[in-house]
Amino acid sequence: MSPMLKFIIRRLLAVPITLLVITVVLYGIVMLAPIEARVSLYEPRGGRSRNPEALRQYIIREYGLNDPYPVQYARWAFRLLQGDWGWSPLLRADVLDALVVRTPATVELTLYSTLLLVPLGLASGVVAGWRTGRSVDYGFRLIAFIGTSIPPFVLGLMLLGIFYVGLHWFPPGRIDISDSFVVTSPAFNHVTGLLTIDGLLNGRLDISLNAFRHLVLPAITLSLAHWATLGRVTRTAIIEERTKEYITAARGRGLPKQAVIWRHALRNAMIPGLNSTALSAASLIMGVFVVEIVFGFPGISELATLSWAYTPDAAAAMGFAIYSVLLVLPLMFILDIIQAIVDPRIREGIAEQ
Amino acid sequence: MKSLLRFFSHIPNLLAMAIIVLYVLVAIAAPRLAPPQDPENPAPFKVATVDTATSRHIPLPPQSGLPLGTTPGRLDVFYTLIWGTRSALRFGLTVALATACVGIAIGAVSAYIGGPVNRFTLRITDAFLTFPVLAGAAMFRLVLYPVDQQASITPLQGLLTSLGMDPVMLTLILFSWMPYVRIVNAEIAKLKQVAYVQAARSIGAGHLRLILRHLLPNAISSAIVLVGRDIGSMVILQAAFTFIGVGEGSPWGYLLAVGRDWIIGPSASLVQYWWVYLPVTLALIFFGIGWNLLADGLNSALNPRKPHQRLW
Repeated sequence: MSPMLKFIIRRLLAVPITLLVITVVLYGIVMLAPIEARVSLYEPRGGRSRNPEALRQYIIREYGLNDPYPVQYARWAFRLLQGDWGWSPLLRADVLDALVVRTPATVELTLYSTLLLVPLGLASGVVAGWRTGRSVDYGFRLIAFIGTSIPPFVLGLMLLGIFYVGLHWFPPGRIDISDSFVVTSPAFNHVTGLLTIDGLLNGRLDISLNAFRHLVLPAITLSLAHWATLGRVTRTAIIEERTKEYITAARGRGLPKQAVIWRHALRNAMIPGLNSTALSAASLIMGVFVVEIVFGFPGISELATLSWAYTPDAAAAMGFAIYSVLLVLPLMFILDIIQAIVDPRIREGIAEQ
Repeated sequence: MKSLLRFFSHIPNLLAMAIIVLYVLVAIAAPRLAPPQDPENPAPFKVATVDTATSRHIPLPPQSGLPLGTTPGRLDVFYTLIWGTRSALRFGLTVALATACVGIAIGAVSAYIGGPVNRFTLRITDAFLTFPVLAGAAMFRLVLYPVDQQASITPLQGLLTSLGMDPVMLTLILFSWMPYVRIVNAEIAKLKQVAYVQAARSIGAGHLRLILRHLLPNAISSAIVLVGRDIGSMVILQAAFTFIGVGEGSPWGYLLAVGRDWIIGPSASLVQYWWVYLPVTLALIFFGIGWNLLADGLNSALNPRKPHQRLW
């Protein structure tokens, strides 16, 4: 078996363990809640009961809410695996359905932000690190410092204040109202769920462009802080790489400087950066939630605000928590794979990772 | 002593200390700077009692008695800014120190035991790393959910409330100890092999003594840097959570949430209603900058051999 395949399989095997740990912890938190709040995890589908007290007693009996923790957890986890994530009285919908419907918006935002921040972060880190002490480096460090100092939600507010309220360039939301009728009409084919791509597939360039316009500010807001961190790590790495012998050797053989930087130095210097980005995938997704709410972007974060505002809705809170881990895992996985492709130690299976 | 002098001879470190001391002084002097209505039990908010013909929903500009005006709903911006400092410092210190204690303890003990136990701990740590903290807030809200209107509370709820815990605090503590484990673990795994530790063990030093006296002091420097950084970032997270409506408890975040419509709403203007967002925003940003710079200075003072990684 090739080392790369081995690496992928090992990463995939970690997924069930991760989910097990997270669900055990989450159900543990639910167990700490008073039984009146815990009942809402097993709310029956449909309308409200005329006699909430009787319904509560029924649920406690039916689902064995006084059973010991492992028994309850196993029963609940089994239901989860069957796709029964509970019913949210708040959304008046199945939690899993509600999450799936809102996923494309969240994925689209995450996708474009990552596509923006990873290449930019690597490139600016390399440029700044190669020219330490020059004005490019100072410029990069200043912007990176500002980028990590401004909280994303504040940055989002300021950008909206300037570019939406002031200049009317970039509106909040996901798509203009006039276009939203087109998008929800049956004639519009939702192939990927991503409006920017579906617009093209349906031959409606205007829809794609409109969706892009709505993505600009949230993507910038989301990218800035992570871009700065990635750029900094890459900068430190390239400073270290720069003095290594293989660089001198390559230059000595007459390889052009740009080729040495971008083909040889970057490959080694991008590993720590990608690693730190992969490790902060959870905070990236959390940033997505915050930015979604600030920009009125209709993603899955809606469940977080609702389940906070109207307790108890344990099914919605729990569903959101588990589902957000399911969003983090693929992102982490992709970044890990890119890192493995770049890193010959993993690719050839030399490192004991 | 010498290293202390060196620490204070760097201008960014001085700046960091100046910013932090300023916040601490404001927090201490809060009752004098902004006298609360009830000195025994100061509230984080004060509704301005100015009598004007304007609607309560329009923010009042700065005027005598209201140095920074009000938000919509007549909340006194200056008052909240001052008392918010207290709450921010308390929150940041509590959460950062609690997470650090949890993380360092887990990391040190499991690295000391080593072997399969340590591998197991690290696997769990990695699993926790995939959890976006925000998603935990609503879960802990359930734990603190009042059982009924008569406000009978469970013993656990009583304990948590008496400790001053709110759901956001609990979430942040439970889901952000992982970096400490990884850092301390890596350091101790290295140190365990070093001769002085082996020597201490050979003359019969106990487990606890080995960890506390010989291993931790040498493994903790990176963790201290992280505490510094976390104090700032935890407060900013709390403000962000409060702003987006997944939490409460950050007066600064609440001010921004209340003023939101006048920052990005239909009749908003960044220029005209600057007092609604600018003072709070600056307070938040400088809070973060202060602790970040301090962490940076600590990093180069405590880990001199690590690559030079200054923020600025």
